[in-house]
Amino acid sequence: MENLIYNIANIFTSDENARWFVQELNNNFIVDDRWTWLLDGLWVTVRLTFFSFIFGLLIGMVIAVIRVSYDKKQDTPTQSTSQKILRFALGILNFICKSYLNIIQGTPTIVQIMIIYFVILANSTNKIGVATLGFTINSSAYVAEIIRGGINGVDKGQMEAGRSLGFGYISTMVFIVLPQALKSSLPALCNELVVLLKETSVANMVALQDLLSQALLIKSRTYNAFLPLIAAAIIYFVIVSILRWLSDRLERRLSSGDR
Amino acid sequence: MTDKKALIRVENLTKQFKKTRALDNVSNNIYNGEVVVIIGPSGSGKSTFLRCLNLLEVPTSGHIFFEGIDITDPKNNLNKHRQKMGMVFQQFNLFPHMTIMKNLTIGPMKLLKKSKEEAEKKAMELLERVGLANRADSYPNQLSGGQKQRIAIVRALCMEPDVMLFDEPTSALDPEMVGEVLEVMRDLAKENMTMVVVTHEMGFAREVASRVVFMENGKIIEQNEPKEFFDNPKSERLKMFLDKVL
Repeated sequence: MENLIYNIANIFTSDENARWFVQELNNNFIVDDRWTWLLDGLWVTVRLTFFSFIFGLLIGMVIAVIRVSYDKKQDTPTQSTSQKILRFALGILNFICKSYLNIIQGTPTIVQIMIIYFVILANSTNKIGVATLGFTINSSAYVAEIIRGGINGVDKGQMEAGRSLGFGYISTMVFIVLPQALKSSLPALCNELVVLLKETSVANMVALQDLLSQALLIKSRTYNAFLPLIAAAIIYFVIVSILRWLSDRLERRLSSGDR
Repeated sequence: MTDKKALIRVENLTKQFKKTRALDNVSNNIYNGEVVVIIGPSGSGKSTFLRCLNLLEVPTSGHIFFEGIDITDPKNNLNKHRQKMGMVFQQFNLFPHMTIMKNLTIGPMKLLKKSKEEAEKKAMELLERVGLANRADSYPNQLSGGQKQRIAIVRALCMEPDVMLFDEPTSALDPEMVGEVLEVMRDLAKENMTMVVVTHEMGFAREVASRVVFMENGKIIEQNEPKEFFDNPKSERLKMFLDKVL
């Protein structure tokens, strides 16, 4: 660390070091257009994050609704056989969802990704597809619990109001309860998106050319670990900052009805 | 009353919560054009009774016939029948993420398949009648309690219901806002809307009701037209109750 600070300080104090630094910059980013390698990696990371998050959100919502419906159905008296069958089916679905959440949340992301890549879909050549699947599964488990909390936070009068107008359970969920649940879970969801973005960096373990992999690729050519890794870190940081800024704006826009 | 047909027929309705019996074998008829006001001490089962009428509370046993159809029979499409029963809640339960106009039109558009223009025209008409036409683009949280409740009534009316159920519509309001909501309900009664109202507003019951029902411990103790009901109560329990609240 001291060495590092010393080096950085020296860069600006001696011509020789400044020349060395410029040369390293040139070597790491300009030669062979290596900066475009980072851009390519960024593009993979962004796509991977985006699709994993969207699919994870959709699956998470479905899981959350199943879990909430099951909890709610427990205290209404059953009347007919069709309702009993429905409740039984819901019980099975709920059990599946609960096990899914337990397994996904109870194992490391990287192990899940590797199992999918090396075991389940070992023959697939679509690396980014496989990685997207892996991160979707991983993210959906966390998103589901976030949204379930959001749904439980919506006043139960909202469901009653929707039902009293004549909406069915699912329609009331979709038009009335879920929008409010999503809104109140927005900060947590954004947090999950940021975590996911950073977590996709483990994709380099399954040979996907994401941002970190590309930085490591530069390192392997230039034998300089410092600049490519710092560059990758800065890019991650900038993307995360942009996401946070966007989510703050979205949150403010959505709260326009709050007063 | 024999010449009118029963709009809602309640037969042997019982609702058992875990330990308490909220409704105990209640039977009653609600006729077209009637304004039935239900009063009683808290915990008497009056709200449960009202909420059972559109099955927001599922009864433990008994039947509810609405327009001749047993809505407690799961074979019948409950959602379809609920469209014809407007409900107004104590806590308003407007949809906070939608503008007033959206609150009023989502039901008619999605359930009655009305066009946007048609639904908005009808909503605007009703908004003007309750004096809130200028709030169409506001959000519920920008309104006062009294305004919210008037909007909630309009939301139910937009579905063109055959009966309106009111669950303590003025209990969550500041005293100075109670009047404006009762005013809207009074107008509705004048237009011959069938109404079932659970309330503590004795003045409203006396003035507007065509029949007042007194409930206690999950049973209907006494019911009568308002003059007889308030001036000449028969049961001891009702006498005691009226002594306390009047």
